[in-house]
Amino acid sequence: MIDPAPPAPAKSSMPTPRPSLPQTRNAEAASGSPRVASAAGHTVSLRGLDAFYSDHHVVRGVTLDFVANEVTAIIGPSGCGKTTMVRCINRMHEEVPGARAEGEVQLDELDIYGADVDVVAVRRAIGMVFQKPNPFPTMSISGNVAAGLRLSGTRGIDLEQRVEQALRAAGLWDEVSDRLDEPGAGLSGGQQQRLCIARTIAVEPEVILMDEPCSALDPIATLRIEELIDELKRRYTIVIVTHNMQQAARVADSTAFMLNGELIEHAPTQKIFTTPSDPRTEQYVTGKFG
Amino acid sequence: MAGPTRHHFTEALAQLEQRALGGLDLVCDSLTRTLEALEHQDVELAGLVIVDDDRLDGRYLEVHQGILSLLATQAPVATDLRTVAALLHVIKHVERMGDQCVNIAKLIPLSGHEPPVSAEILTVIERMGALARSQVIQSKRAFESRDVALAEDLVRQDEEINRLNRECFRLALDIGDDIDKREWAMHMILVARALERIGDNAVDVGEQVAFVVTGLFREFSDASHVPPG
Repeated sequence: MIDPAPPAPAKSSMPTPRPSLPQTRNAEAASGSPRVASAAGHTVSLRGLDAFYSDHHVVRGVTLDFVANEVTAIIGPSGCGKTTMVRCINRMHEEVPGARAEGEVQLDELDIYGADVDVVAVRRAIGMVFQKPNPFPTMSISGNVAAGLRLSGTRGIDLEQRVEQALRAAGLWDEVSDRLDEPGAGLSGGQQQRLCIARTIAVEPEVILMDEPCSALDPIATLRIEELIDELKRRYTIVIVTHNMQQAARVADSTAFMLNGELIEHAPTQKIFTTPSDPRTEQYVTGKFG
Repeated sequence: MAGPTRHHFTEALAQLEQRALGGLDLVCDSLTRTLEALEHQDVELAGLVIVDDDRLDGRYLEVHQGILSLLATQAPVATDLRTVAALLHVIKHVERMGDQCVNIAKLIPLSGHEPPVSAEILTVIERMGALARSQVIQSKRAFESRDVALAEDLVRQDEEINRLNRECFRLALDIGDDIDKREWAMHMILVARALERIGDNAVDVGEQVAFVVTGLFREFSDASHVPPG
């Protein structure tokens, strides 16, 4: 189950001027040089974030820091606003008709809702992996990985090299290196999801948002993705929405519990699953409701 | 917010707790028989204590297996996880308390039919037995009611049982030169030691109560810094 979200995206209720992100960010993305593992990750901070679908107030005053090079899991019952909150982080939420967000979302020191910020650049810097693997059906495996790069300009980039790097980082290279020209849709579900992760990585984002990335996968494919998440956090800040409590316990450094649009508790994962502070968190993680 | 869920798990955990704490009742029965056998030099009753320890060992295996199943199939977390972890400790202490009763029961035939007893030492042992039994009962009540204050009160009783243990040792040292009497007194030192250990195990159960309630494990008393006495 995913949080209810109105259907087809259309125009935003937010102003969307699209100048570039600061030069320091774009310079790295445009350089074409392979990104090396670095502990110098990027922090996302929410300050008093509210999100609405028309008059429906679905995220209520959330203040939360996503620590660099850590995995933060968002848990909570269906409809609690966790997917909406995550979509606010890369300005996807505003694509829904009648949807709007208030408050601050900062990527390091940059206010991503600032008037001079390019929305496309925001979404490139904050990549997203969805619940259902969504490879472009008409594209080959390598075409899928390179899709984001082509859309953002490939000048100065060795595409083949970048595709290989992304597939290796997504743990898929050894399985597909001899059939890069075959359709991406021909891969198994787990491989398709790793292909989508490769596509996200290829544009070298700073943060990766994952919205229930394993809910359509079998247990083995799920474990592979979880191992991959553990690898990726060395380079990226990762936010994962999950309904699988054990998955949150396995992969996340910290876990945030949301209920009715509010952030109830955010603490190290070990604490959330052994000694949560709030009785509502206790009730939820022990399955007493939800 | 939806209504309560996980009925099966809740019932299974409650049943597991009931079986584990029921082990403390079995310990009480075993301890009562042990003290009676000791008082009357009843070798047959002592034999029953030894044989019946199989029931406690069986209870240990049953609860241990139940805990493994619950962990494997239900993945408990938070208070449920702490309860399951605590029950694993509790059932271990239950099994050990049963073993201490067996240790005492095995000493009874060694003392002979009419041993040269010291009334003073027997009074101390009797008092220790009553205290140990009281501690076991109180540890069960504290766990059932999640009463940390009641659990902490076990330390008060345990200090008394420790004092009596030292008293028994002192009386045994002063019992005289008669070799039979000295042998009996040494057996009584071992009995006192076993009763003192049962008290310690009851305190350990109490510490698990505090862990379940607060999420923090702490020793109620530091055994490595007991004042000499």
